[in-house]
Amino acid sequence: MDIFLTRLISGMTAGSVYAMIALALVVVFRSSATINFAQGEFALFTTYVSWWLTQHGWNIWLTLVPALGLGFVMCAVAERFLIRPVRKRDETAVLIVALALFTGLNGLAGWIWGSDDKVYPRLVPIGDDSFLALGGARLYYDSIFVVLSLVLVVGALSLLLNKTGLGLQMRAVATNPESAGLCGIKVGRIFMISWGLAGVIGSLAAAILVPVLPPGQLGLPGMFHMLIFGTVAALLGGLDSVKGAVVGGLSLGVGLAMINGYGSFFGGSISLTVALVVIVVVLGLKPNGLFGSRRLERV
Amino acid sequence: MSALLEARGLSAGYGQSHVLHGVDLTIEPGQVVVVLGANGAGKTTLMRALAGLLPYDGELRVDGETVGGVRPDQMVARGVSLVPQGRGTLTALTVTDNLRTGAVGRRDASGVQEDLDRWFTTFPRLAERRHQVAGTLSGGEQQMLAIARALMSRPRLLLCDEISLGLAPVIVQGLFETIRGINEEMGTALLLVEQNAALAMGIASYVYLLEVGRVVQSGAAESFAQSDSIRRVYLGY
Repeated sequence: MDIFLTRLISGMTAGSVYAMIALALVVVFRSSATINFAQGEFALFTTYVSWWLTQHGWNIWLTLVPALGLGFVMCAVAERFLIRPVRKRDETAVLIVALALFTGLNGLAGWIWGSDDKVYPRLVPIGDDSFLALGGARLYYDSIFVVLSLVLVVGALSLLLNKTGLGLQMRAVATNPESAGLCGIKVGRIFMISWGLAGVIGSLAAAILVPVLPPGQLGLPGMFHMLIFGTVAALLGGLDSVKGAVVGGLSLGVGLAMINGYGSFFGGSISLTVALVVIVVVLGLKPNGLFGSRRLERV
Repeated sequence: MSALLEARGLSAGYGQSHVLHGVDLTIEPGQVVVVLGANGAGKTTLMRALAGLLPYDGELRVDGETVGGVRPDQMVARGVSLVPQGRGTLTALTVTDNLRTGAVGRRDASGVQEDLDRWFTTFPRLAERRHQVAGTLSGGEQQMLAIARALMSRPRLLLCDEISLGLAPVIVQGLFETIRGINEEMGTALLLVEQNAALAMGIASYVYLLEVGRVVQSGAAESFAQSDSIRRVYLGY
């Protein structure tokens, strides 16, 4: 039973990170109907900036402020100057731009800071006794921190979307950008803000996950797997659904933890394989995902 | 005193094909203007160009000031609001949220609440469904919602693109009575594009006849009532 609990906890932890990345993808998709494949690399870049600041004596928590701010600015600027002009002419080309950003940002990070793994300070204490006992299993502090962060992000996002004027505008644009414009909404500004918001969520996800998930170091390939799992989670839950991102992420995390735990005879890369199988199944059977509403077009 | 809206030599289209060719149109404050024409005459293209959804050649002036660039929110800021063909309902939002979205440009929270109450009184069907998701409303209700949504920005000119489309006659009659009432009480100018010539003529003061993207005739509504032009444009004889 305690093994089950341990796996459940580790699955919820990983799932929370997937959910956060899925949220970033959903925020972008809701407004721009685009999947920002470079979301992970934006986040990786800001995490490098975070690391770099700690090398100069900053407290790790304090570095989150410029990191998240940079995440907002980078993504908002990318939307305004790279994505929007391209989208006007050709929707498919937007994917190419996202892929270019993916490669470019990763390369830039490597060029500036080198391709060796960096030791990333912990946000939350770890160690053999940094845990709470829960029914025979160990609930480590960093797990609590990750899940709590997800709860906070989802709470803040829901508040923003449902209780504020800006949120109303974002929901209107997500439903029908042309009608939103006819109501007087500056649709371009909302696109920029949505991308910026996704950047903040993504940066937060990366800053949290690096110390928590193996290998525990900050490295160039760090976000690649996360993006895949985040995308699967978003697809599973429905690309335009906040609730879907959370459900998708957590289910994926727990599901993979169980498969890895109980099906260890499958070998190491089972997680990625399962994830890709899930993508194919979802796209084949229920392209809108569990909670999505928009009709998806084939690219 | 300058006209509320003035279009001179308006040409617009989609890609290579031009649908409108040099249209001249004037709307005075508080006027009810109707644009009639058969399918494909360019009525919707005209509305979309005036609303800022389409690029156009030619000149467009609001209150004597030239309007440049194409962004619908800029036209709303100038007091021109479009009820689009097909209603353009924000289907995932509730009725109330749809109306609130119409008021995004406004700074007066109490005025917005006043208007919400007013339109719920004018359209009791919407009041009954105020927390319902708009996508579940009937066609007629969505049309009422689209009109009320456009009016939430307190426009001085309401552009109505084929509001009768797909609706039962009794509903359409009610809608026309309502917008005539809005024009009389609030002084909101109306530009109506309609296939239902009879009903539109009932409230019009000035009429434009559009044929293949050109204004072929225009004048006071009374002069049109007698003439054969409308029949000719619609039925071809």
